[in-house]
Amino acid sequence: MSDFKMKDIAWAKINEDVLASLESPRKAFWIVLAVCFALVLCGAAAEIYQYNEGLGVALMNNPHYWQTYISNFVFWIGMSHSGTLLSAILLLTQADWRKPIYRFAEAMTFFSIATAAIFPVIHIGRVWDMYWVLPYPNQHAIWPNFRSPLLWDAFAITTYATSSALFLYIGMIPDLAICRDKAKGWRKKLYTAMSLGWMGRATEWIAFQKTYVLMACFLVPLAVSVHSIVASDFAMSMMPGWHVTSFPPYFVAGALYSGCAAIITLFVLLRYLFKFEAYMTPEIMDKTARLTFAIAMAWNFLNLSEYASIWYSHDMFEHEMLIDKFTGPYAGVVWTMLFCATIVPFAMAWKKVRVNMWAMFVISLLIQLGMWLERFQIVSPPLASNHEPWTQVAVWPGLVQMTITAASFGWFTMLFLIFCKVFPSVSMYEVKEMVYHRNKHGKKKLQDLEKIKDDMIKTEEGLS
Amino acid sequence: MRRIRKKHFLFATYDDFEKAKDVVGQLNALDDKEDIIDNIELYSPIEHPEVNAMLGEFHQPIQRFSFFGGITGTVLGLIFAAGVGQSMFTVQPQGGKSVITIPPDIVIAYEMTILVGVLSTIAAFLIYSGLPRRVKSYYDHEVGVDQIGVEVETHPDNNEKIRATLEGCGAVEVRELTS
Repeated sequence: MSDFKMKDIAWAKINEDVLASLESPRKAFWIVLAVCFALVLCGAAAEIYQYNEGLGVALMNNPHYWQTYISNFVFWIGMSHSGTLLSAILLLTQADWRKPIYRFAEAMTFFSIATAAIFPVIHIGRVWDMYWVLPYPNQHAIWPNFRSPLLWDAFAITTYATSSALFLYIGMIPDLAICRDKAKGWRKKLYTAMSLGWMGRATEWIAFQKTYVLMACFLVPLAVSVHSIVASDFAMSMMPGWHVTSFPPYFVAGALYSGCAAIITLFVLLRYLFKFEAYMTPEIMDKTARLTFAIAMAWNFLNLSEYASIWYSHDMFEHEMLIDKFTGPYAGVVWTMLFCATIVPFAMAWKKVRVNMWAMFVISLLIQLGMWLERFQIVSPPLASNHEPWTQVAVWPGLVQMTITAASFGWFTMLFLIFCKVFPSVSMYEVKEMVYHRNKHGKKKLQDLEKIKDDMIKTEEGLS
Repeated sequence: MRRIRKKHFLFATYDDFEKAKDVVGQLNALDDKEDIIDNIELYSPIEHPEVNAMLGEFHQPIQRFSFFGGITGTVLGLIFAAGVGQSMFTVQPQGGKSVITIPPDIVIAYEMTILVGVLSTIAAFLIYSGLPRRVKSYYDHEVGVDQIGVEVETHPDNNEKIRATLEGCGAVEVRELTS
């Protein structure tokens, strides 16, 4: 592991490196972007086909009306959690290692929500009626059901998307001013408008720091509430397998877990594509991996307690549902999920693995696969374990659903990469703060050591 | 017609916070003694609470906006959910359920608390930071890189004294400006 502690880097170099990332990423950046764009085109084609033919082509039929699209919705909402939530928690706890990585994590949040928001639209089939979920007065006197968690979703996700976008934007203002000072052409105009005339005055800094901390205070409970509400979509139904009291904390832990894994994936990707080796160091990866490992254990505990409470409850229907999950047609999904999300994270117990970028990249992808399967095994198997024999059929996502699912990954990555190409994905001013404080701390340590050394020499002289 | 007096400034840049701290201290002392400085403004690439504290107290009660914004959000959420949405009972069948159901209304009020709280905080930020504004014509881009700028507003007659103080603390550059 490199012993580079990021305290020897000059402030001007930080600006230079980050601004260079906006201009000249590696060639691989364009290849990844092109692949993502191709996936988005495939997804658009699949959606147009489904729009014309009806939801039957997605193999959705009564009672299998909630399937991959809803799994994707839950997955992407979950993915959005770690960025803002972890950034806010680490800001409040003053963990300075968050500084080089929080910007892209917050961006990840926003683009995950943008991806998640597409799925209810695709899922309902009648895309043109989507505005019906919004609470507004109309001449039919139709109001959405305020008692339904689906409406709470509309409130929670709108609040989360707005607050996360503002949190990301406010945190970026000092860096946008730096970009403004160096940019030319359309970028200059964009950064000038977005930086709001920031000049780094003391008044601005004080207001900025206060605002940022206050927003973090709002965002922590908000993030927890959003995924709890998504969990309520399931938990408040009477369906065996969904009607689980521990679902809200289980969903929140799962969201944090998959979000942390996504941070690791994007960490490695950005480090390589934008040449951020000096900022996204193995030291930071080590800390992120430790955090992910801790969250993995919390998620596993909640998973286990869900199984245990069903097992010992002696509720016949829940019991049957649980056994069916492990032995029925979806058993492969459940066991793969357990391997990817329960066994694989134990590899992070070794430091050698934690500081190896490509090993962590593979682990993070496996964890995300596990967490996607987790959402799928929450949504699909209960629908196939119904009490009507004609419904007891395992339905697997067809080509249309899988194409749209793959396209969602392309869509997310495409938006994310475009963001990183246009806006600084490493926070310049926060890295400077980190360098400044580490240097100051290092100097003080050195002075203390020298003082101890002088005292020892004096004591020795006195003795002799 | 009333003539607007032009403002006169001295703008110095430093390559170290310690030097900026020294100069602010000395300028404060000079002002205490001779009362010749109208205002001191600090420009920096990062926040430095110690130097900022030397500039005097900044009254920025942003947290009050957050607090009252949050309360307003709660009230709006409750009014919206209970007062508007659920009171449509005359046209919407309720299936025997109570007209206003508190648990779901609390969820909506909770989300509205946060939304309005966040928006109020942003409004307070814009008010107290003085943003958005035009970038000053003499703004030094190096302040965004690694320099610390100290801007002193004074009468042109006091130039020499202030320039001497600014240079005495190791300024990289001192400029005279009028706006």
